[in-house]
Amino acid sequence: MKRRNFLYSAGATALVSTLYAPKILRAQSAEEFHIAAILSFSGPYGLIGNDMRKGAELAVAERGGMVLGKPVRFSWEDDETKPQPAVQKASRLLSEGAHMMFGAVSSASTLALQSLSTQRQVPHLITISADDAITKRDGAPYSFRTSNTLGMEVKMTMEFVKKRGLKKIYAVTADYQATRSALDEFSAMAKEAGVEIVGNDYAPLGNRDFSVIIDKMARSDADGIVVMATGNDGITFVKQAGQVELGKDRVIFGPVLQDDIFAAATGPAALGVNSGVRYHYSVDNPTNNAFVKAYREANNAFPSAFAGEAYDGLRWWLDVVDKTRSWEVDAWTEAFANSVYEDSVEGRKEMRACDHQASQVGLWGEVVKGEAPMPELTMKITDIFPADRLFDSC
Amino acid sequence: MSTIIIGLSLSFLLFLLSAGLTLIFGMLGVINFAHGALYMLGAYVSFQVVQTTGSFWLGLLVAPLIVAALGALIEMAALKRVYSRDHIFQLLLTFGLILVIDDATKFIWGLDYKQVPTPSILAAPIELFGSQIPAYRLFVIAFGAAVSLALFLILDRSKWGMIIRAASSDPDMARTLGIDVNRVRTGVFALGSLLAALGGAITAPLVPIELGMGFSVIIDCFVVVIIGGLGNIRGAIFASLLLGMTRAIGYTYATEWVELMTFALLIGTLMFRPAGLFSTKGRAA
Repeated sequence: MKRRNFLYSAGATALVSTLYAPKILRAQSAEEFHIAAILSFSGPYGLIGNDMRKGAELAVAERGGMVLGKPVRFSWEDDETKPQPAVQKASRLLSEGAHMMFGAVSSASTLALQSLSTQRQVPHLITISADDAITKRDGAPYSFRTSNTLGMEVKMTMEFVKKRGLKKIYAVTADYQATRSALDEFSAMAKEAGVEIVGNDYAPLGNRDFSVIIDKMARSDADGIVVMATGNDGITFVKQAGQVELGKDRVIFGPVLQDDIFAAATGPAALGVNSGVRYHYSVDNPTNNAFVKAYREANNAFPSAFAGEAYDGLRWWLDVVDKTRSWEVDAWTEAFANSVYEDSVEGRKEMRACDHQASQVGLWGEVVKGEAPMPELTMKITDIFPADRLFDSC
Repeated sequence: MSTIIIGLSLSFLLFLLSAGLTLIFGMLGVINFAHGALYMLGAYVSFQVVQTTGSFWLGLLVAPLIVAALGALIEMAALKRVYSRDHIFQLLLTFGLILVIDDATKFIWGLDYKQVPTPSILAAPIELFGSQIPAYRLFVIAFGAAVSLALFLILDRSKWGMIIRAASSDPDMARTLGIDVNRVRTGVFALGSLLAALGGAITAPLVPIELGMGFSVIIDCFVVVIIGGLGNIRGAIFASLLLGMTRAIGYTYATEWVELMTFALLIGTLMFRPAGLFSTKGRAA
């Protein structure tokens, strides 16, 4: 070998070793499988983080607390629903040798963690954040989302409009980027389907009073009201719409408007409201039935969408990691990027190698009165939309 | 016409939320950052009473009284120690109170949302001027108007108001006249806390009850107080009407500009009348 070639080879080897050092170090020192769980345990999404933790812990407990023959250890950190603490806390855990990241809740925090995952070449599992930007084609190589995207939820919303034969829609949209994009997408689909958007009002995020907008809706000739908002905004809107009985002669719906938790917070005004649902305990398949039973025994409550999605995503990921029989990060990510999950709690899921987004069915439901032991208000799943109607091909 | 009615309901809700804040500043000179937390506590206590007794009206009565008692305790245990100190100590103390009240609320009621249903007698809408107006909104207007009138009469026309104003403007002179200034201050903070909780209890059927609800109202409260003049009840009434109507008209004709219009009013006030539109030295009503 010529001297020059030798130097090139040595330099290249050194560079590659430096780049992959974190992965090799993690693999060599694996006495346990360490998961850095960065969730929201306080702030606006505090409730979500707690439910996700219950679901994730159950997924690990079910496999005897082990993966690859080693015990699984969670480090739970609260990002206070803000990106900066999310990154700070995740960085610390990664420097302590965490093998993967799990979280976050808000899309802003998740996108921040995603950058860290790419930079540090650490697998990153996302089970609730819905921003479409999280799973872009050829995007973050170590990030995977096993839950819904907002885009698929918007498509479900339009499928619902067509199914109900609605012709004139009035929209109210929380004034921030993700929901504005969702409205644009919905409006384009509506135009194509011959559905007229007769009005739209943007309300500031965290708006506490929709009375004027509701009055405009009530005076319009719309037969449907689409609410591009979720959480507090969605609950407040539906609650106040109930005070003028807006839902009496108009259909109120939205991509992420209601679930069992939101319905309980809304009260009777939620009855008859339609919404996309990320997961529901009533989905009848053997995996979900077993999960619901175990969850109820452990927590004395039905699992929320947050708990269900966390359980499902982590169960899938750990199954795939276990099957690789390897501690190499690339072996895990490659296997997961091409995996199919036949027995998910929601039915079949398939990880798309092109954008690391799980292709899956979409659940749609209506708030109805529940009978014991179900909550007083619960979602009844009315439609299950097939994946090929919700996802573009890779 | 429906816009005006809705605007009035927005206005009186804003007034109920901000009256306690302006009262405490006007009489005690304390900027109470914990006002939002007391408002949230009022909503939670109201939820608990409704949950236990099934009566919204009992919640509306009991929640403010409980929070007023808590306010009195806070004043006696903590606040009175920092009256003579710089404002920064008062800010830090009331900010600390937010954390304590938030954690205590989380401990007692947990993280999940709570809801208070609209009282059945006010559940159905009423048709007025071609619009369906929620009966509850009409109640808010009447209740808010009654509270503002009562506050005005108490602070401006009654002997109690005179004592409060005397203790506020010249405490040493008030003491020589036999007024127990400490007790007056405790009473004022309790009254401010009562008003915060009243705001929480009356808002409870309109919004989900959750831990962050205090933060979301505090900005609105400060906008009202700054526009109306710090510590001025009449100013707070006027500023609430101005903001409520601006929002109602804004949401009717230009929804995307509502926030801009709100803050333009605030900036305009700070530029041309920095002490507030109704600022009068030494008076609170």
